[in-house]
Amino acid sequence: MDPMDPSEGGGRGAARVALVSADPQPAWLAQARALWGEEIEILHVGAASDCQALARITRLDAAILDARIGAGAQALVASLAARAVPALVLEPEPGDSAALAWLRAGAAECLAWGVGAERIAVALRRLLARERSRREALRRASGSNVVRAQHDIIEQLNSALLVVDAAGRIAYCNPPAEQILGATHEALLGRSAWDWFGAPAGEESLVARSLRRGERFKGAEAVIMRPDGRRVPVGMSCAPMEAADGARTGAVAVFQDLSDTKQLRTQLLQHEKLASIGQLAAGVAHEINNPMGFIHANLFQIAEYVQDLRRVWGQVEALLEAARKAEAPELREAAEALGAEAEAVDVAFVLGDLAKAVRESQEGSERIRHIVQDLRDFSHQDTAERVLADLNQCLDSTANIVWPMMKHVVTLEKRYADLPAVPCFPMQLKQVFMNLLVNAYQAIEEAVGQSGATGTIALETRRSPGGVEVAVRDTGVGIPPEHRSRIFDPFFTTKKVGAGTGLGLSTSFGIVQRHGGRLAVESEPGVGTCFRLFLPVDDVEDLPE
Amino acid sequence: MSAGGRAPLLLLVDDEPRILSALRRSLRREPYEILAAETWGDALRLCDAHPIDLVLSDHKMPGMTGLQLLERIAARRPQVIRMLITGWTEAIPEDAMRAVGVRAVVSKPWEDAALKETLRLACKALR
Repeated sequence: MDPMDPSEGGGRGAARVALVSADPQPAWLAQARALWGEEIEILHVGAASDCQALARITRLDAAILDARIGAGAQALVASLAARAVPALVLEPEPGDSAALAWLRAGAAECLAWGVGAERIAVALRRLLARERSRREALRRASGSNVVRAQHDIIEQLNSALLVVDAAGRIAYCNPPAEQILGATHEALLGRSAWDWFGAPAGEESLVARSLRRGERFKGAEAVIMRPDGRRVPVGMSCAPMEAADGARTGAVAVFQDLSDTKQLRTQLLQHEKLASIGQLAAGVAHEINNPMGFIHANLFQIAEYVQDLRRVWGQVEALLEAARKAEAPELREAAEALGAEAEAVDVAFVLGDLAKAVRESQEGSERIRHIVQDLRDFSHQDTAERVLADLNQCLDSTANIVWPMMKHVVTLEKRYADLPAVPCFPMQLKQVFMNLLVNAYQAIEEAVGQSGATGTIALETRRSPGGVEVAVRDTGVGIPPEHRSRIFDPFFTTKKVGAGTGLGLSTSFGIVQRHGGRLAVESEPGVGTCFRLFLPVDDVEDLPE
Repeated sequence: MSAGGRAPLLLLVDDEPRILSALRRSLRREPYEILAAETWGDALRLCDAHPIDLVLSDHKMPGMTGLQLLERIAARRPQVIRMLITGWTEAIPEDAMRAVGVRAVVSKPWEDAALKETLRLACKALR
């Protein structure tokens, strides 16, 4: 069996061998090359430290070390041994004691320098073959070595792959894993996996459960917390790794970044939720409109009747005055009785107050009518095509919906400019306005606390070059500078649990982007925040050609 | 047709009797003879028994929508002016309304003046 047969070991091609030597072309090399042909690729490095670096960034199958390299040679041999890279040392002063020292340091073989190309070639082949069969045996014996043996496949995998050892330290990660974890291979190896797969809510991460309890997960959802604060939602499969004797040697996790998928799905969900709320609201609105129908109409009629009665009562009072002076005693008596009754009831007040009560009820019914109308507008589903909409109206009706919730702490100022109709999905924009308004309200609520003070939300619309701008400004707590770059990230929230999903602004941002617009923020802690939404309006038709 | 000087005969249909009485109140001083029905069955019976000129029907009712009722009425007496009154105007497809020949839709709650004007305009078509 030829150990260099490329068909072996999963067809990995040429073996990679580092040549650590001051001389890049030692005398034996050309001849040895002729012997092993394409089977071995030589990577020359001039110093021990360079070889250490090389071993970190690439897979090495073996190393040939010229002992005359001096500084760090022994340490290099030890470190290569730790990485399971067999080292062949060429010793200038042959002798058993020198050879023994090298073998003790971790070298796989020690030959006298100048021993000849043939012996070096044979020794190297033997090392490679031995290493290969060792890996084979290990792979059969223990899952953990699959990682090493199928290194290339794993490196080129689309999914992130991470291996932790029995102590929970990162033992291996491929490039996609580096990307998701936000650090390089070098920075990750040996670090505690719990820095990324922590247990913030007291519940163990999936990786920890695989490692500690031997549980297996397939396509589970998890969140990776990067040290930079970013949270990355991932889909993860995770399993314990066990040695032949059943001892747990670590855990392996394969995962994919779900940020985009997740955000899309959440947006979809939110959209569906809003749609079903919309249907409910529209149904409720209809039910309210039936009783409102007769209340509204009856109040109108009652107001008319009251007018009629007041007119009639004026005549009655005139008649009463006349009857009091009448000749006929029974007429005078009747007039006295009516006068006493009218005084007891206080008819003049009752008629006046009745009119007032009806007027106030009419105002109430008018208000209900507006609320219902706004609810219906809000629930109105977006069409597949953009429509031309009045942004002032969109903003105003949304503000009317959230107003009752915030009026105890908020003064609302509205400065609407005359705007051109904007091509948009009005329902989605109302969702954005709703998010901005609720955020502004929560920021004010946080700022005023229980002090009884109030804050201001100013809604302003104006024309802006190339489009229109909507500003929502509040006098709330403001956003700390360190959070400002992250507020549009999905799942970023500073609200207490249950108060926010961390999706409001990222969803809003997505909606504005789909409209070809921009959403920007200015904020000063303790002073307030202003969100500016710009939407382009295509005025091409209006431009002179 | 409202024959020679006779007041137009208006049929009100709604499953909510308070709507019917409120409509009657609104139209008390208007020049209509008013009949009212709380079910589509009663409405059709009244249509068969009386020379109805105008119908103003609720849309969402048990058993049959207002639109379906107007379609039946149109099949019997095509000259009857057909109108709907509803709290949910968006729920009625426009093309279906056109197909049934719905002349006007009054929204609930209605404004007194708007209701009277709608009926007045509809009556013009009678003459």
